Amino acid sequence: MSSVTRGQPTDISPSRHLLVGLGRGAAGAMLFGMPMLMTMELWQLGFYIDGFRLFLLLTVNIPLLIVLADRIGFEHTSTWQEAIRDATIAYGLGIVMSGLVLALLGDLEPHMPFSEIIGKIAIQAVPASIGALLGRSQLGGQAGSDESSDEEGRQGKGKEGDAVPDEMSTSYSRELFLMAVGALFLSLNVAPTEEIILISFKMTPWHALMTVVISIAIMHGFVYAVAFKGAHELGENTPRWHALIRFTLPGYMVAMLISLYVLWTFGRLDDSAATQALMSAIVLAFPGAIGAAAARLIL
Amino acid sequence: MTTISTRPHRETGDPHWIEWVTGTVSALLVIAMIGWIGLEALMEEDLPPEFAVTITGRAAVEGGHRVEFEIFNRANQTAAAVVVRGEVIDGGQAVEEADITFDYVPAESKASGAILFLQDPGEREIRIRALGYTDP
Repeated sequence: MSSVTRGQPTDISPSRHLLVGLGRGAAGAMLFGMPMLMTMELWQLGFYIDGFRLFLLLTVNIPLLIVLADRIGFEHTSTWQEAIRDATIAYGLGIVMSGLVLALLGDLEPHMPFSEIIGKIAIQAVPASIGALLGRSQLGGQAGSDESSDEEGRQGKGKEGDAVPDEMSTSYSRELFLMAVGALFLSLNVAPTEEIILISFKMTPWHALMTVVISIAIMHGFVYAVAFKGAHELGENTPRWHALIRFTLPGYMVAMLISLYVLWTFGRLDDSAATQALMSAIVLAFPGAIGAAAARLIL
Repeated sequence: MTTISTRPHRETGDPHWIEWVTGTVSALLVIAMIGWIGLEALMEEDLPPEFAVTITGRAAVEGGHRVEFEIFNRANQTAAAVVVRGEVIDGGQAVEEADITFDYVPAESKASGAILFLQDPGEREIRIRALGYTDP
């Protein structure tokens, strides 16, 4: 109470600002991580996943978070140091929140071997840390007096041509990167479940063909046709198929690669014939493609 | 290059050549993938699952004897809930048997597992065979 009376609503102290940021990150980690925290297969993966593959996933997550933090971040970052700091905070929040929620759900017991506890938390920390970063940027937009000051700050910086300017030219690789993050996030959500391989077993090649076509159509439609907030417009002189070749098809390939990577990480491709592996990847690329398209709109 | 402004986003009219290269390579990959699956769809005749079992290893373990094996499904349909029975044959009679169940043996793929026998089969014949399966 005393802090409320002392603090002025328009001028927030840096420590409180940081706490609000941490709170949003934690909320984001829970919001985006909850589906995975409550998935049985992921608990089990914690102890049977191949050690090297888990290590690779955890390592790949670091540069991913840094670039993502540079893009959306806890703060509107201007330097790489700040991006690295934000990524570290996000990863830490992801680990802490995963541990807390898993403990709350009774999934971590004191008598469990240390490696199992670490494995369970580590595997959940990846989606949770992405969620922590997203939470800061997505939950931040809604309300709060500090957000308005945030907004003012951003515009002010924009005028100075500093930090995040109002108009920013994103490079092509960055666009593909965002699609990869979106695909990875949704893929991680569904890949560990048995349903993905079960669906691919039940599908005939005809189903798979339709899935490919529909995935690409949805991706393209999401970004260019359905007028979501943040939808991309084509220049008047640009034929429609240009965007299909330049963005949607590479985006779909990114989603496919991410699918294969995630399936491999979770050991779903082991001993599978090539066609079977491809079918599983096509199934997983369906949500992955939607995630990739959504990432282009949201982030 | 994409220009991200205060929404909506607008793609630039004169893209970098890298974008066209990536786009073309992706298009080729998508076409190749569709071609592969399409060929599969046209050529494929549905063959019910067919199994081949190979014993890959034997070892004495605490309280028994472990026989590792691989089961290969050479057909193009996946089998689910595959029950596999291992038997130790002595004089034409099964003296010990043990069952295990595989969740899936995917099409044209193999799955591996092990059976734990109480007794050491020694020189006696070990027979491992699939008892049945369900369609996934």
